[in-house]
Amino acid sequence: MAGVRAANSSQHHALDKTWNRLDRLYLYSGYLAAVFLVLIFLTTMLQVASRLVGYNIRGLTDFAGYFMAASAFLAFAHTFNHGGHIRIELFLSMMGRFRTVAEWFSFLVAVATAGWLAWYAWSMVYWSYKLNDISQGLDATPIWIPQLSMAIGLSVLAVSVVDHTLRLILTGDHRLPTSPDAL
Amino acid sequence: MEQSALLVTLLAMLCVLLASGTWVGLTLVALAAVAIEIFASRSAGAPVATTLWSSSSTWMLSSLPMFVWMGDILFRTRLSEDLFRGLAPIMGRIPGGLLHTNVMGCTIFGSVSGSSAATLTTVGQMTLPELKKRNYPEHLTIGTLAGPATLGLMIPPSIIMIVYGVMTNESIAAINIAGILPGFVLAAMFTVYVIVAAKTDPTYKPVPEPATSWREKLSALWLLVPVHILLAIVLGSMFAGFATATESAALGVAGALGLAWWQKTLTWKNFVDSLMGATRTSAMIALILAGSAALSLAMGYTGLPNDLAQWVATFNLSAMGLLMALLLLYLVLGCFLDGISCVVLTIGIVEPMVRQAGIDMVWFGIFVVLVVELAQITPPVGFNLFVLQSMTGHNIFRIARWSFPMFMIMFIMVFVMIQFPGLATWLPSLMLPVTVQ
Repeated sequence: MAGVRAANSSQHHALDKTWNRLDRLYLYSGYLAAVFLVLIFLTTMLQVASRLVGYNIRGLTDFAGYFMAASAFLAFAHTFNHGGHIRIELFLSMMGRFRTVAEWFSFLVAVATAGWLAWYAWSMVYWSYKLNDISQGLDATPIWIPQLSMAIGLSVLAVSVVDHTLRLILTGDHRLPTSPDAL
Repeated sequence: MEQSALLVTLLAMLCVLLASGTWVGLTLVALAAVAIEIFASRSAGAPVATTLWSSSSTWMLSSLPMFVWMGDILFRTRLSEDLFRGLAPIMGRIPGGLLHTNVMGCTIFGSVSGSSAATLTTVGQMTLPELKKRNYPEHLTIGTLAGPATLGLMIPPSIIMIVYGVMTNESIAAINIAGILPGFVLAAMFTVYVIVAAKTDPTYKPVPEPATSWREKLSALWLLVPVHILLAIVLGSMFAGFATATESAALGVAGALGLAWWQKTLTWKNFVDSLMGATRTSAMIALILAGSAALSLAMGYTGLPNDLAQWVATFNLSAMGLLMALLLLYLVLGCFLDGISCVVLTIGIVEPMVRQAGIDMVWFGIFVVLVVELAQITPPVGFNLFVLQSMTGHNIFRIARWSFPMFMIMFIMVFVMIQFPGLATWLPSLMLPVTVQ
């Protein structure tokens, strides 16, 4: 481990630069998720307003559902990077020197799971596209389009999990903040 | 035989993964993958992906980010200050004095916010320093904050109730409305405790509040008007069948934005901060929910919950016996897991048993929320204890001891709920259905 840490500084500089870029990727993905959250708000208000004037716009609730999915999936990585996803740290803090082993284990499980999900999300999008799947709702959207948000979001999540695992392996610190946002 | 092998494997995996700090949502996905691939001998990837998509893209779920955002906006307004300045002149002279601002503040803020920790920080930031200044004994100040703050989970809108509603396919609006009466009864019980404690505790010697005229009391009440209008809009529209849960949540966001604008606290920074905070919080919950959807799918393949329900049925437990067993289960789980994870992990398994015992699912939702509230102030893992630890610097076991009377009150409340189920079921039965969908 020490050998890696003592590697020449230009290599470190390059790593830091990559990490900064990745952090920005998660943040922008989070901003995009926030935009979808605002869109949920706007479509729902539109729905209330259209009901008040007695005119029903078709498929609005379906769109709110797609925005919901997009807002959640696209924010996964940003939330992860922010230390926002729930994990139990109680036992980790009691493990003493075994903590590193447990931490490696949990990150590797996360890499496997997130990678697996991202892979099958893309496969789902591919088959929806290939089979020309149309939404069952009134909106009649080709379903692969909103499904893209899931594939992209889970992929960015997988990248961020791999990224933090590498940070853990290379520097001994996964650099995730510990305090969750709310709850 | 094979089912018990499955159960043991899954439980062992669950413990190892959670204890090693694997993220709860991803842990559930990993469990689902193992259960489907190994025990149902099918390929898990495609069905899990489809389930993740269909469970996350439901319109029902979108009330979640809306309520979270509403709370987040109000969190950044002057609301907590106004609450204290409004309540203090009214409460100051009655026995228990400003300790009541803790209980009342939590009751009011709990009804605009969906979470316990947000309620705790918002109210505590305001009341803790003020009460200390006036020489209120710390164990009462902190104790009467830790317990009532859990009302954020019970009094609607409540995030945990949305999660419960999504998982059990019950009406989110009905469950939220069901929380109103039990929430108020709990608040009343806390208030009585504050009065009794003030009369009997020898260390209770606060600096007396100056007398206030009726005019001052009225102008203080005026400060509380805006938040109550907002509440009336959100709960009223849901109750009157004018709006679905998502719609009244969106109205709540509009109202909260309006309130913040009117108070001149709606800066661009506050707007973006609240929006990003809400985005992260709902993504955090969405990941856990996605994991639970995957796990329920796996459970469906293996038939485990039904087999378990049948196994439990062979004990011929009464409904009461089942509830006591579940109470114990949640108290133990709550020692290690946060409220939402508790609900998500258990509901899929518990639901068939509870339905089979003929227990009303809306009532059971309130029961679960109450028990989870209890778990928020039990050591070693109670979220409220952690928050108070970081706010006050006291160790969590001391805070837990100070909150113990609140724990007992909530524990009694569990039995009040069992004795008088109408507390939860009466209001929802009066609700008008939403006519246009």
